[in-house]
Amino acid sequence: MLLIDIVRRALRSLLNAKTRTILTAFAIAVGAFALTLTLGASNGAKLYVNKIISDNFDPTSLIVASGRSVFDRTDTSTPQEYDDRYGSVTTQLGTTTQVKRLNDADIERIKGVEGVANVREATSVGLKYITRPGLRKYVATLQSYNPAQRPDILAGTIADPLKAKTIILPEAFLSSLGFSSAQDAIGKQVTLAVQKQLSQAALQSSVASALSGQPGGGAATQAPAAELKEESYTIAAVSKKPSSIQSATALYLYANADDTKALNDYTTEGTSNYHTYSFAYAQVADGANQTNMDATQKRLEKLGYGVQSIIQTQQFLTQLVTVLQGIVTAFGLIAVVASVFGIVNTMYISVLQRTREIGLMKALGMRRKDVGRLFRFEAALIGFLGGALGAAAAVGLGTALNPWIAAQLSLGGQNLLVFQADQIVLLVLALMAVATIAGLMPARKASRLNPIEALRTE
Amino acid sequence: MITVESLNKTYGKKDNIFQALKDISFVIPDRQTTAIIGKSGSGKSTLMHIMSGLDHPTSGTVTVNGTNLFTMKSKEMDKFRANEMSFIFQAFFVEANQTCYENVMLPLEIARVPISKRRKMVMTALKAVELESKAQNFAATLSGGQKQRLAIARAIVNKPSIVFADEPTGNLDSTTGEKVIKLLFGLNHVLGCTIVLVTHDHDLAARCQQQISLKDGEIISMHTTPVAHHTNRKVGA
Repeated sequence: MLLIDIVRRALRSLLNAKTRTILTAFAIAVGAFALTLTLGASNGAKLYVNKIISDNFDPTSLIVASGRSVFDRTDTSTPQEYDDRYGSVTTQLGTTTQVKRLNDADIERIKGVEGVANVREATSVGLKYITRPGLRKYVATLQSYNPAQRPDILAGTIADPLKAKTIILPEAFLSSLGFSSAQDAIGKQVTLAVQKQLSQAALQSSVASALSGQPGGGAATQAPAAELKEESYTIAAVSKKPSSIQSATALYLYANADDTKALNDYTTEGTSNYHTYSFAYAQVADGANQTNMDATQKRLEKLGYGVQSIIQTQQFLTQLVTVLQGIVTAFGLIAVVASVFGIVNTMYISVLQRTREIGLMKALGMRRKDVGRLFRFEAALIGFLGGALGAAAAVGLGTALNPWIAAQLSLGGQNLLVFQADQIVLLVLALMAVATIAGLMPARKASRLNPIEALRTE
Repeated sequence: MITVESLNKTYGKKDNIFQALKDISFVIPDRQTTAIIGKSGSGKSTLMHIMSGLDHPTSGTVTVNGTNLFTMKSKEMDKFRANEMSFIFQAFFVEANQTCYENVMLPLEIARVPISKRRKMVMTALKAVELESKAQNFAATLSGGQKQRLAIARAIVNKPSIVFADEPTGNLDSTTGEKVIKLLFGLNHVLGCTIVLVTHDHDLAARCQQQISLKDGEIISMHTTPVAHHTNRKVGA
């Protein structure tokens, strides 16, 4: 038989048993549905992670900290040795810990490492408030802007480097600061206020004077008034609300490195945090080349620094996604395995029902090989039908629900499910292959039927 | 020409041995109608199966047009059967859920006849059995006689040299059966194919040019009528 005859006969035989065919195909469709969604979610997650990375990090930069503990979860079960170079902080969980910070000497040392092109300290300033004349005051965090970041901008432009005394304002502040729209805010002035932190010495003297009970003992012994400084900044751009995974950064204001540093120095002068940084970005020369990245990371780690590359961050972010994906994939595969038995069963019934037809075809000189092919094609068509049905349902449902899911998870304009035609075609082909394998035994039975037995009149 | 020589067929082994065919030899010339007569269990079906290459003899040979069926490889055997032989069965074996056209096309598909040639061949065969108007009807809608005529169309569509007919009138009433037999013998006359008719009906057998009677696997009589055709003689006349 010609291939077209075999395909046509296989198709007709499936059409003659519509209910059976569709029910069998449904089993495969469940698997195809789950696997298509998994593939879509995996694509979406990858794009999403890459977008977050490219929005927030320069892929050619390494994040350098004084030790690994900055990146890893701090060990809270064993006592941490006190180091008087660093201040102590109390975490959200109520644990007191010391975060070891980088100082200027560290920055110089990192700059000297082979492969490091330049180093940028990550500076973060806790603002006392941000406000505009006649409006309420709001607390905020000011970060130094890294030109490698590419935040989504609603209005305005970001010069490289960011101009002095300009800021990028997050969307969330617009209405609070009395702007009618993102466009309205561009070029307007805001007031940023910072407060000097009390130095250790100032704290001690104020406590001492309070205890001695001698009020009005002169200006020097009076509880030091918190020194406040207000500065005026121009809004250069308004950044879009980030997706939920970065919600911590939703209220970050960005100013250029020099301005941020100046404000930070002002607030930390006389404290242990003066001229120290939780981490720094080391840009690697020719960092597009992964071997340069790896080599530089090794050299920095040898000096005792904790180093994280974007690849590692990416891996960390994708890890959870991968686990969830694995679970869904497993369910999909279980459905496919279950459907294999359905196909075997259906094909055996088909062979039994068509015993006489097979006998006739063999008597008329149809070759064993062709009889086998006929049934294998039939199985493959069931696989195709199931695969196509499941994939189509998944794409349809996914496309319909994408806007809702994206809104629920606030993915920042990114779709959770991203379907790729080539992957779906491959999936359907793979399911056809699985179905064909399931059809092997029944097809063999058909090809081995003895025509004399098959044609014996009942 | 079909030459059957010293054909033996045994089933089982040792104590349970059963000899279905015993030393069968005969010759069927081209274009002849031959009846193999016998009661059920006489071995006539086994003989037909061996003559058509569906079954293998324990010993002996069948030669069709100079080709020994049992020295062929199975692939060659299939090809030979697809091109040279066809069958008509008592129970018709037409596919009810296929159209008449599709039923008749089956042998052409099996013989890998190019698609462009098929339509003409199928319609010619359907016309020969007067079913051309039913080409697109499903076989399920046909009467018994029409179904057997359809089976005949299927048997002749690829112009085989031998048609094996196994009790072709067995499931039909005598009037319908008579029509089918007339058609079959008429085609033998027109197409010039050899017809091997297996039957237990002596009247039907008598209308063939040659009669081979089997009993318990042995030929008990062989008779050749020199008359060319008997298409006008009535059953039971």
